[in-house]
Amino acid sequence: MTAVLDIAGYTLDYALPKGGSFRALENIVLTIARGEVLGLVGESGSGKTSLAWAIMRYLPGNAQEVGGTIRLNGEDLRSKSPAEIAAIRGRRIGMVFQDPSTSLNPTLTLGAQLSEALVRHRSLTLKQAWAEGEAMMAKVGLHRPADMMHRYPHEASGGEKQRVVIATAFSCQPECILFDEPTTALDVITARQILDLFRRLQDETAVASLYISHDLAVVATVADRVAVIHRGRLVETAPVIQVFNRPQADYTKRLIAAVPRPDRRLNDTTADAEAAPLLEVRSLTVRYGQESLVRRLLGVERERVLGNRAVSLSVQPGEILGVVGESGSGKSTLARALTGLNPFDGEILFDGRRIASAGDMDRAYRRDVQLVFQHPDSSLNPRQRIGEILSRPLKLYGNGHEADFPQRVAELLEQVHLPRSFAQRYPHQLSGGEKQRVAIARAFASHPRLVICDEITSSLDVSVQAAVIQLLLDLQRRFGTAYLFITHDLNLVRQIAHRIAVMFRGELVELATVGELAAGPKHAYTTALIDAVPAPVG
Amino acid sequence: MPELLARLLRSPQGALGLAIVAMALLAVAVGPLVAPYAPEGLFPLNRYKAPSAAFPLGTDQYGRDILSRLLHGARATVVMAVCATALGTLAGAVVGTASAYWGGRGDEAIMRTIDAIMSVPSLLFALLIVNLLGKSSVNALIAVAIAFTPAMARISRSVALTVRKQDYINAAIARGEGAPYVVLREMLPNVVAPIVVEMTIRVSFAVMLFATLSFLGLGAQPPAPEWGLMVSEARKFMHLSAWMILWPSLAIAFVAIGFNLLGDGLRDALNPRT
Repeated sequence: MTAVLDIAGYTLDYALPKGGSFRALENIVLTIARGEVLGLVGESGSGKTSLAWAIMRYLPGNAQEVGGTIRLNGEDLRSKSPAEIAAIRGRRIGMVFQDPSTSLNPTLTLGAQLSEALVRHRSLTLKQAWAEGEAMMAKVGLHRPADMMHRYPHEASGGEKQRVVIATAFSCQPECILFDEPTTALDVITARQILDLFRRLQDETAVASLYISHDLAVVATVADRVAVIHRGRLVETAPVIQVFNRPQADYTKRLIAAVPRPDRRLNDTTADAEAAPLLEVRSLTVRYGQESLVRRLLGVERERVLGNRAVSLSVQPGEILGVVGESGSGKSTLARALTGLNPFDGEILFDGRRIASAGDMDRAYRRDVQLVFQHPDSSLNPRQRIGEILSRPLKLYGNGHEADFPQRVAELLEQVHLPRSFAQRYPHQLSGGEKQRVAIARAFASHPRLVICDEITSSLDVSVQAAVIQLLLDLQRRFGTAYLFITHDLNLVRQIAHRIAVMFRGELVELATVGELAAGPKHAYTTALIDAVPAPVG
Repeated sequence: MPELLARLLRSPQGALGLAIVAMALLAVAVGPLVAPYAPEGLFPLNRYKAPSAAFPLGTDQYGRDILSRLLHGARATVVMAVCATALGTLAGAVVGTASAYWGGRGDEAIMRTIDAIMSVPSLLFALLIVNLLGKSSVNALIAVAIAFTPAMARISRSVALTVRKQDYINAAIARGEGAPYVVLREMLPNVVAPIVVEMTIRVSFAVMLFATLSFLGLGAQPPAPEWGLMVSEARKFMHLSAWMILWPSLAIAFVAIGFNLLGDGLRDALNPRT
């Protein structure tokens, strides 16, 4: 087998504005043969994407290439002129990006974008290119390709858009294609379909693929060989079975150990099913969109978007209730309704007290029910120090005297395993995982009885996620707090939840204990969801 | 803050703007102390004089020293412009941020009112207010502040709308915070940077607006050494001495350009991505 892509001793630095430089990639050695899929796994900031852009020869102005070669079928890409590179990009090296909604131009039809590549690189006429594009669309499994060619990106779903991007990448029959987290922005079931498509096209075209992902489970299912990258260095490159069964490098071992697996339960507590429920939600319905005054005067009824349709569930004291579903299934809407951020119909019973609208949520309810958000970057005010952020709930709910606040803030920080000195810092001086710990500390400042976790680990790396989950479980054991744990990661929630609620298009389709779910789900959608989740590695 | 200053000084327009504004502020602070004569000191024998050793910038129609009048007038002109802009900016920022926070119909009502006010040119609007309140410096200040409020409200709102969507605002609301806390403590600090930039640029507008009002006889009243008023008075005697109109006009232009450059520099310095 000869290598299609051959990278040897490649080292890349980024110049820092204050002088000096940051080494993004160090002595990278990679080869990909024809028909081979190399999975490149690493956490955020490990240099995965830098490597992809280095191969595409599209590096930012402050990049300094220290040494090494990047060869495509023996030709050194680093010595090519910009014009030669422009002819190679798209023609001989294709690329598929993470988020199809931003990688397609919203003002051009899908057909125009697909045929553009064909006209440019294969010298077809526009008519030929259009016909060829239609054939490609059929090949990537899009229904009614002729119709799809005329659609704009906003008229297609995320999965359809990603299929178009993949069709574009494959259309010029490139020698090598770089996939940069192509399924990360998609729902579990859609991601599964895209992976199946990828494997089929890969087998048909025998292209050399570099599949970049942070998700070990996904890489395990698609790749032939895996390269693990950590802080710009390749720590291990080996066939996929060997990496997952007999990892050599310590970093790989840690990474694999951190991947959630439903059969390895992290939570040994049991919830008291007989006790009076802490929170009871009765036929909660949320409608989006405001009724316009003019329409109401004219008597025109408008169909409003339903965020939640008659959702009923309950949470026992100290119970972890997992809520899973794909994006748009109404998981976050439920969290927002429970914290008074969305108006709702129906009723909530908290500790026996009836709450019929956001106006009924008094200070006591707000103190007892706390919310932790998905993105710690946006849930902490960038202009406030950590100390100020953490002392605000203490002040608001009247816990103790103001003179004690610095002490209490220090205790809160220690509770989430952060140093006391962090009180003086601003959020941007912390890493993503540290910020999420601060957000958790803020939620626990008021000694709540229910904490709603809205996808709190989905923007974190897998090893950081494992640590945050461990922290949540420690806090639960210590304070007996109940969690409403919202996530799209079924493997993760099966590790920690007592019961799991499955949501689909705003409705609660199944609510079962973890044991019942493992024995076999009742609803067809739950079955589809479980089947779509990549099998845990190892 | 020292880092911001360093970034500001690195860009040529920032450094130049800062230098000019610093000079203007120096004139405000110590101008009257270093001025060779009193602003209303008459030298009837030395009228319409060109610059000389005794009168570095010449004299006007009553034989008053122009340099002394400019130095004394810096307080009236620059301080008034900065105060009026600050007042207008503060009012606009609070209105715009609160409007973004409320959203829905309240937002709609506030913003349509502001659109209506903005359709009147700010000079005309200021003229209207001064006419209603009467001629005086304080009224001119209020007029300029009110004239600036709608535009600042609009800019603040557009910035505040993106801040409104951030989760820390949701977190504050979910925590049960009241509207004043959310608007003043959570939102305003995050919309301040673009507003400060806009404010420095607007100071130069204010200097010119004040000069125009005084020129039209609606702001400062004679014999105040306000720069716009000096230009207005000098106009009648232009054929006798061009220096009389040249110096105060240059002073106004100088300060206006200084604040404009500072605003440009700040915009770049506050946005690390440019």
